[in-house]
Amino acid sequence: MPPVIDRNKCVGCGTCADICNSNIFVFDRAKDSIPQVRFPEECWHCDSCVIDCPKGAITLRMPLSYTLLHVNADTLGREVNR
Amino acid sequence: MIAVSRTIEADVVIVGGGIGGAMAAIAAADGGAKRVVVLEKCHVRRSGSGATGNDHFSCYCPEVHGDDVEPILRELMGSLIGQAKDVELMRLHLQESFDIVKMWEEWGINMRPLGRWNFQGHALPGKPRVFLKFDGRKQKAVLAEQMKKRGVTVLNHHPVVELAKEDGRICGALALNASTPEPSFVLVKAPCVILSTGLTHRLYVNASTPNYLFNTAHCPNNAGGQALGWRIGASMVNMEIPYTHAGIKYLQRAGKATWIGVYRYPDGSPLGPFVTRPDPEYGDVTSDIWNSAFIDVMQNGRGPAYLDCSENTPETLAYMRRAMFDEGLSALIGYMDSKGIDPAKHAVEFTRYEPILHGRGLDVDKDGQTTVPGLYAAGDMVGNAGCGLGLAAWMGWRAGHAAAASAISAAGTTTGDLALNPGIRAKMELLSSFMERKEGADWQEANIALTQIMSDYANVGPYKVRSASLLNAGLSYLNQLRKETNASLKASCSHTLMRAAEVLDLFDCAECILRSALERKETRGSHKRSDFTFTNPLLADRMLDVTRRDDGTVVTSWREVRK
Repeated sequence: MPPVIDRNKCVGCGTCADICNSNIFVFDRAKDSIPQVRFPEECWHCDSCVIDCPKGAITLRMPLSYTLLHVNADTLGREVNR
Repeated sequence: MIAVSRTIEADVVIVGGGIGGAMAAIAAADGGAKRVVVLEKCHVRRSGSGATGNDHFSCYCPEVHGDDVEPILRELMGSLIGQAKDVELMRLHLQESFDIVKMWEEWGINMRPLGRWNFQGHALPGKPRVFLKFDGRKQKAVLAEQMKKRGVTVLNHHPVVELAKEDGRICGALALNASTPEPSFVLVKAPCVILSTGLTHRLYVNASTPNYLFNTAHCPNNAGGQALGWRIGASMVNMEIPYTHAGIKYLQRAGKATWIGVYRYPDGSPLGPFVTRPDPEYGDVTSDIWNSAFIDVMQNGRGPAYLDCSENTPETLAYMRRAMFDEGLSALIGYMDSKGIDPAKHAVEFTRYEPILHGRGLDVDKDGQTTVPGLYAAGDMVGNAGCGLGLAAWMGWRAGHAAAASAISAAGTTTGDLALNPGIRAKMELLSSFMERKEGADWQEANIALTQIMSDYANVGPYKVRSASLLNAGLSYLNQLRKETNASLKASCSHTLMRAAEVLDLFDCAECILRSALERKETRGSHKRSDFTFTNPLLADRMLDVTRRDDGTVVTSWREVRK
């Protein structure tokens, strides 16, 4: 569930790279204006970067394989069992 | 050779700045240690499994529970986190933990989001409830602030890769400076080290997404920290007793007791006998009691199993949503909102996750002291009194105070040059060889190979078995993998070198599991031995300690559970 940085909102403060729970960002201030998501497969989807970004520039994208399996609760037929 | 960029002298070093480590650092400073250093792999504001919150804190509150702690203790011992634990330590935890709750509240953590001490969830109907519902969203920031107030030195992005001993006592730690792409080593001399690296994932093939190592219920960066204690000669306990968490599928995330619903079969009938309608007071404790519920229903074809929250009132659903934020599940909520998954309308499938080392690891006394002088441990990496937030906070607090007192009395005992310590030197040379290698294997290859071996040769019941022949084969294959890894692993920067060092730790955790599982010649819980299919009553109140001696040999011993 790697973070996606909105380049138009990011101000390059580096908070996300600093506080990431998995160290997945690299921010080389000499080369880059915004942090790079260098190790996206190591994201733990903890949401720290989303919460702490002062500009609300980060969203998380869920890999398709992480799909949360669910059904319509009405299909469980519980009415007949209650 | 990777350069040593810094050498530090400290009184108490804490490895890992999660809940246990932060509390240890605060307590060590309060206990009089002048130079307290936290070596944190990521950043103390957001590291560990409690990064963005928790909502259950095990504790005993006399004004809610009454004057007798024993009924609360019985519930705790029967809970998911009470498996195979020393009763004496769990009792002491309960007796002292409410003082920590009050301290947290004083520091600014919201321990009473409803304005009262509210104990809910993870409970059997009609029984006392042991878990305080609180709002942990700010817990890491608050603890980081408390460390700062006390002058604790925090080195973020400094994972510890080895410990050192001198004349049988801990004398320091080797950290990797991963704050820049180019790695360097940091040597920290200290007479006391407190390990608090959390639980360990990434040992078995991921039960949800086999190709994704980091889709885990708890923090996947807590990988193999128990091995630091193992290599330095500390006794390990309960490593062979499997722990498997359960939760939503396929996205893994702990926090099942924050959901308020009923586990149901597709035909609507409840899985367990405990609740038939959602109950905020108790939750549905079925999967805590019946650990293999979610894979049993897949094996017998009656599944899958769903958690159905749709019968809650709108008020209860709003309360549950708020509690999910308290628990740190904001990413999950965001995902569900974006996909239109609504607990009022949808039932979510649950599954059992792969085995992890949660509350399995170092054997400690009531002060967190391990069997190695000067070495302490706290939190999920502790084998006989770890598992969960409340125990981490409490043991961290005790270990911090004890280490401070020990450091003061041991001042001046660490005199040698840490860079010349044989174990430290060997680790520096091995990690440096990974950086110098131009072609070779990435750390992922070694980690995945390990998960394959563990899943094939040391897996857990009820549908997988262990046996002497399987476990010995696993040890042989692990040994081959270890040799090939040392000879072929490469790393290109401090980050991949950190991961490579984690894999080496995971190897040692795996060896300890395999050796422990060989010694437990019975079936107990999910430790299912095909060659010893019975549960031996003589081992019911005994724990297995496994220890690696300085010469590399491994010894086992049994001890009584401390009542």
